[in-house]
Amino acid sequence: MKKYKTLFKQAKQIQAVLSNIKKDRSKEILSRLESIFSLNSTTIKNSRLLCIALRKNWPYAANRMLDKVQRDMYELGRHLSQFRDLGGREDYSAVTLSDIIAELLQIEQEFETFNLSEKTLSVTTRPITLEGIPLGPFKIELLLDELSELRPSNRPYLVIALDPNPASTDDAVTHPHVSDETLCEGQAEPAITTALEQRRLCDFFMLVNGVLRTYNSSGAHVKLSEWGGSSCYDCGCTVSSDESYYCRHCRQEYCDGCSTYCQICNTTVCLGCAFNCSTCNKPVCSSCRAACKDCEKTFCKDCLSDGLCQGCEEQRKEDEYDEYDENDESNDEETESLPSIQPDSVG
Amino acid sequence: MKILYINNNGGGFADHVEITENTTIERFFDINMPDAEPSDYLIRVNRQPVARDYILQPNDRVTITPVNIDGGRHCKHNPV
Repeated sequence: MKKYKTLFKQAKQIQAVLSNIKKDRSKEILSRLESIFSLNSTTIKNSRLLCIALRKNWPYAANRMLDKVQRDMYELGRHLSQFRDLGGREDYSAVTLSDIIAELLQIEQEFETFNLSEKTLSVTTRPITLEGIPLGPFKIELLLDELSELRPSNRPYLVIALDPNPASTDDAVTHPHVSDETLCEGQAEPAITTALEQRRLCDFFMLVNGVLRTYNSSGAHVKLSEWGGSSCYDCGCTVSSDESYYCRHCRQEYCDGCSTYCQICNTTVCLGCAFNCSTCNKPVCSSCRAACKDCEKTFCKDCLSDGLCQGCEEQRKEDEYDEYDENDESNDEETESLPSIQPDSVG
Repeated sequence: MKILYINNNGGGFADHVEITENTTIERFFDINMPDAEPSDYLIRVNRQPVARDYILQPNDRVTITPVNIDGGRHCKHNPV
């Protein structure tokens, strides 16, 4: 008996919030009516002035008044159409107490329990595990006083992870379809909107629960395959996006230990694509290395001078020196065999 | 006879529909959800789960809600 008393009180509380929405709606209708009446009297006044201007043959004044009347008529039409939309919209705000009690009883049956605070009604889902990843239970919190304006950009509920296991790449993503406590409703959007419009509270919670229990990889904020971060292509360890490094040469992600950076162009390069120059021992990428013209061994570009490695350059210098020396010696020999330019006993 | 049918699959419409006498909930499901499996849905009559041979009564309230619904297709955030 006590349980039903509490339930009755809670239903009354919900009804009070919902009837406030109804009051707001009535106020909006009234305000639209007032603007229609005011616009109507302005139009009548301007029409009379138009009549006077025509009667007195004041073409300039008549034209001005005609413009005004036309503008008024356009505004009047717009206001009337808005009023028709507002009045024609089915009003589900006035749900009966017995309907609300039935909804609460069903919520209790489907979700075991619910919580009602001043203006929020919430349920807790069972712990959710998707593709082996435990995401914990979620609290679906319906903001009752925001039910008046159902827009896709402003949903009147929050989905709060109670034992969060967020994506390693983004703490705000607590479920592949929940970011910043907002659910991406996907295919459930029209059904959720209708359930909220018709104040079918239990159906609303069941639909949200249905989305939370399902994984749609094509529309996920973070794919479950990357939930713990991306895996290093080399060692296979899992790393978050902040700690993963992309090698643009092999187009794969690597962890810190399996990547380095080219010491010439400073780009990230994996250990597989990096090349350690045998002269300076610095790691460089494939764009910053080249083969020596002579020995055809690979070196970093910093260790090549005119396409030659240090060794080959020295070798070339030695060869050139030797060549020069040989030339020099042969010149000396030639000089010795030549007769003296100045003949003896001259002078 | 007429019953209230709330189809939470798709648009989530609530409508009064005409059915023949002695229609079981199983038959009703087969007619209205021809290519669907009952196990993929939560079927409630007057907010309660019922047996498949339950015979629908005038003014019954039938709700069919999918157990799994794809989220995220109309996502406003960029999927990663």
